[in-house]
Amino acid sequence: MGKVTAGEVQQWLIEKIAERLGEQPSAIPPGQYFDELDMDSTEALIIAGEMESWLGFELGTTALWYHPTIEALSAHIAEESARHGATA
Amino acid sequence: MARRPDATSRPKLLIRHRQAAPGADTVYAVHPGALPVGLWAGLAGALPRETGFAVLDLGAVPEYGEAALAPELSRLTVGHLVDLLATAYRADRADGDGLGDGDGDGAGTVFVGWSFGGVLAHGLTERLEPAERPRAVVLLDSIAPTDAYQHTEGEPIDPAIVLRWFAMFLGARRGAEVRPRPVPPGTDTDAALALLLDDAIAAGALPPDTPMAGMRKLFEAYTAGLLRNNRLTAPYRPAPAAVPLVQIKAADSLVPADPTLGWGELAGRGLTTHSVPGDHYTMLIRPDASQATAGLLPLLRPAPLVTTRRPSP
Repeated sequence: MGKVTAGEVQQWLIEKIAERLGEQPSAIPPGQYFDELDMDSTEALIIAGEMESWLGFELGTTALWYHPTIEALSAHIAEESARHGATA
Repeated sequence: MARRPDATSRPKLLIRHRQAAPGADTVYAVHPGALPVGLWAGLAGALPRETGFAVLDLGAVPEYGEAALAPELSRLTVGHLVDLLATAYRADRADGDGLGDGDGDGAGTVFVGWSFGGVLAHGLTERLEPAERPRAVVLLDSIAPTDAYQHTEGEPIDPAIVLRWFAMFLGARRGAEVRPRPVPPGTDTDAALALLLDDAIAAGALPPDTPMAGMRKLFEAYTAGLLRNNRLTAPYRPAPAAVPLVQIKAADSLVPADPTLGWGELAGRGLTTHSVPGDHYTMLIRPDASQATAGLLPLLRPAPLVTTRRPSP
């Protein structure tokens, strides 16, 4: 996976979360806190692992802690992706 | 995962389930995370209605979560956690929550600590003044912070042991029993995890489409919690208990071969041991385990003692 934008990450995350929750992607608000989504920590970690495979780099263990919404996490990942791209 | 940084929804360290009736005891349970804190409703419901019940939830302590996720930044100690618990406990007692607790009518408290919560329930007891202490500390499948079980900084955990515990954990979260197949000696952790993923999916403990990357992330988070607890207990030197200890092991315990899980060394006022149905995690979930545990708590007016039998194979 090359460099990703915040919009691409956000779309990927919303689709995955919607699939897990059995909802339409339009029903997942990007500004909502992960702990407010009807998703337990096991499901969140499974998605995080899947995302690492998609991105091709590991997320820091504190990424979900410090960036607790889809929107914030997507922006963080885009920055990380740019950093990885720059050092690749 | 971080919760909303909103003071109105900040989780509370002390969660009150029920006030004590006049003259009745209050049970304080120390919850170390890993399972939802709401599961303590099972034990609260199995106790006599007059018994007060509150949970001291470490999930409400941000430094505790951060110590697992970002250990390189953490300066957390058992002593600091005990300070927080002591402050919350004393504030609750000062509120007069227990209606008659501490007013000379004989009512008191019993501490219960599940897993690492047992270490903290013991530490809290030793931090308190004699008049503030509970009648007993009840340890639910809790391993003692003694030499036999302490790990030095950076020491890895035996993968075979951790995988067995992780299988229990996955099953408990979904009400399934994961029976991991024997792993050939020399199998690396990733290959063993792949086998466990198949077993967990077959048992219904994980969704059928769970990818290996997700399984790795789950295992990483699970072991981060164990390593955090090992780091916390490594420099900790507990005092012998000033109150009686009661160890209630799960039938399928973390360490089946040790009946006291190391607490004999710290039992300055005696130690009794019991067993309840379930494994390390389901002992907090199964109604029969909650009933059995409730009957074993040393309350002034105890719950009826429940005898349990293992199901026939």
